[in-house]
Amino acid sequence: MSEQTIQPAGFSASLRASLRMFWNGLKMPLLAILSAFVLGGVVILVTSGSFISVYEAYEGMLRGALFKQRGFSESLVATTPYILLSLAVAVGFKSGLFNIGAEGQFYIGAIGAAWAGVAFRGLPAIIHLPLALLAGAIGGAIWASIAGFLKAKTGAHEVISTMMLNYVSFRLSEYLVSGPLRDPAAGLVQTRTIAVEAELWNFHAIPERLQDPLNALAAAVGLALVIAFFTRWYLMSSVRTRDWSRSLRRRYYAAVGAAAAAILYFILPPLTRLWWPFTDTADRLHIGLLLAIGMAIFIWGLLQRTTIGFELRTAGANPNAARYAGVSITRSIITAMAISGGLAGLAGTIEVLGVSSCRCLPVSFSSGYGWDSIGIALLARNHPIGIIASSFLFGAMRNGADLMELTSGVSKYIISLLQALVLLFVAAPTIVRWVYRIKEERQASEAPITRGWGG
Amino acid sequence: MTVKNNASRRFRWQGSWWVTWLIGIFGLVAGWALLNLVIGGQCDGQCVVSTLAQTLRKATPIAFAAFCGLICERAGVVDIGIEGKMLVAAMIGYAVNLFAFQALKEVMPPASAADLARVLALTAAVVSALPLAALHAGLSINIRADQIISGTVINILAIGITGYAYRQFLAENLPAGPGTFPLLNIPILSSIPVLGPILFQQKPLAYILWLSVFLIQYVLFFTPWGLRTRAVGEHPRAADTLGVNVYRMRWTNVLIGGVLAGLGGAWFTLEAVDVFNPLMTNGLGFIGLAAMIFGKWTPFGALIGAFIFGLGDSVTTTISIFRPDIPSQIPQMLPYLLTIIILTGVVGRAIPPAADGKPYEK
Repeated sequence: MSEQTIQPAGFSASLRASLRMFWNGLKMPLLAILSAFVLGGVVILVTSGSFISVYEAYEGMLRGALFKQRGFSESLVATTPYILLSLAVAVGFKSGLFNIGAEGQFYIGAIGAAWAGVAFRGLPAIIHLPLALLAGAIGGAIWASIAGFLKAKTGAHEVISTMMLNYVSFRLSEYLVSGPLRDPAAGLVQTRTIAVEAELWNFHAIPERLQDPLNALAAAVGLALVIAFFTRWYLMSSVRTRDWSRSLRRRYYAAVGAAAAAILYFILPPLTRLWWPFTDTADRLHIGLLLAIGMAIFIWGLLQRTTIGFELRTAGANPNAARYAGVSITRSIITAMAISGGLAGLAGTIEVLGVSSCRCLPVSFSSGYGWDSIGIALLARNHPIGIIASSFLFGAMRNGADLMELTSGVSKYIISLLQALVLLFVAAPTIVRWVYRIKEERQASEAPITRGWGG
Repeated sequence: MTVKNNASRRFRWQGSWWVTWLIGIFGLVAGWALLNLVIGGQCDGQCVVSTLAQTLRKATPIAFAAFCGLICERAGVVDIGIEGKMLVAAMIGYAVNLFAFQALKEVMPPASAADLARVLALTAAVVSALPLAALHAGLSINIRADQIISGTVINILAIGITGYAYRQFLAENLPAGPGTFPLLNIPILSSIPVLGPILFQQKPLAYILWLSVFLIQYVLFFTPWGLRTRAVGEHPRAADTLGVNVYRMRWTNVLIGGVLAGLGGAWFTLEAVDVFNPLMTNGLGFIGLAAMIFGKWTPFGALIGAFIFGLGDSVTTTISIFRPDIPSQIPQMLPYLLTIIILTGVVGRAIPPAADGKPYEK
């Protein structure tokens, strides 16, 4: 046991405590995943009748997910929408809402992106790309706020109304893609190809994109913002600088950011020309991944460090207390649904702008991400870092399933079974505790709480 | 039980019964008028009768789903895993129908083999929903997991199971099966002019539906068992104090709900179409829950709710026959939009059982 090893002197107790907390948080999800894989192995064994195919299946899945050519980057491609969709579900859970309709909002986001990517022509990427992203996110946000509005004003339960909105959005996207938005020139039923400017950049294309000065400016400003953010964080936590006045700190990190932006603007294009690690032009990995990770951090900050986030969490944890403290439940329900839908819409946007091979929205556009993302959010206990890790797990499984089916003949639907089992063990920790003889921890809340029809 | 219960003394309907009825009739007339408006007055008497018969047919799985939800929620267990149970039942029904027929036709004439296979398949479908119902019961009653999460687990598990089994066993090289149940005409009643074709020229599950709605109404409101069920759903602590075994009542009800969901699932592959495909339930389980809420947690109300959705669905079909120029997706949204509208409470606020969704701790 790691806890019983003698620590060297000077190893701070707080670090040990935080490590133990980290392990305690990680223990149950890891055991749930392990149990699911063991049980999944039993299912493969029973249905195929040989031990070797269990090994072949898992080996094929691992190889497909990580080690085959472009396997790892394809896993990351599949991870991207999972991060955003499960963030959407997690924001709902934190605010006491069960947004089961992330998939529908994903579709609406995809439609918004397909429309905005085509409707504007001749805009520079620095305007067009954010516009297309925003169109999808706003579409998803509005779509989800319908359910939020109905919940707040009439009490229609969000589980049923978002589910119904799912089916409406499937039909709606089918109609729009085969009707008004259809590309008459294409042989397949699909929308027009979006403008090059609206595309999310592939990693291998970044040096080329940066040759455009406006793009270089956008990239420099984006990176400079990140640098400024970290500088600010450093200034607030470092012993030497934490006593600085607020305005001094602000001036300092603003200056660092501006300097970084100026330097990056001039050195990024030639530097990436000289050396760039991503050279494979068939690689589909795109900057949407960075966007998704950035959103995960942003949402975490929003929920934990801002007034809005506090109101949302309070309204989710105890609506009566929140109402008593002066939080408007109506507003917080609609806000939560809008944020949640916006994230799901962003996932759909990214799928159109970055992933789809035709750079358009095809009519047979089925993702099946919706249910999985609920599992991810629960597995991660709504924690953003956990969400990134669990999203990678689910994305890797999804990506590895194809090679698994090819090499072992086990249907790739086994991964939905595995994911369902993971979710089962996460939702019922008692089972896992009983199997592995783990004592119950003293924890105030461990599973996200949804509410019945009444409240 | 020493508690006097008014509801079991006289035939009283829960909730505002007349409002529900009036809205049902109004919806019917308005729907017909709208239909004729859309398709240009081409819907004659024959068309109305066939649309209504179709309504009953399409309402069957929704009504069973609603009854499943009703039975569970009256006992205080929220069940959103109906969809998953129906999906598994549909697949098992289809598979048993197919393979039992292959085995049986070796030993008996094909016609009776087909009949027997279908009955076996129906039974198997109902039984196959029980393990999932038991899982839900175990999770939500004994382990006291969140009931909506538990239902979601059931749904995802069902998608996994059916998808996997379908690709592994049912996707290709299938022998010819015996097909769905044939129409079962009730001898004298089916020759009544208008009502006959609508009510009495149906497939077996439609008759089981009528049977079960009366049965549930009777059992729930006129027997001690029903009284205990409702007590457990309203105030489990009080029921427990009076000696009702809360856990056992809830377990029984969730399992009965499983049987009903199994019947609903069997409809897809044993009555509607002779194929199985993953995700064929299309949200009908959730629509069933909306029908239940619409019916204010009463069997007849839920049935009427189901009829409204069935009507929306069959009108959609009629429209697409007469007006092929309207994109089929637009009318297909109708039932789902209808569900949302009904959920908003335009028919009056529904009050769920007080302990609905709350785990009970002894």
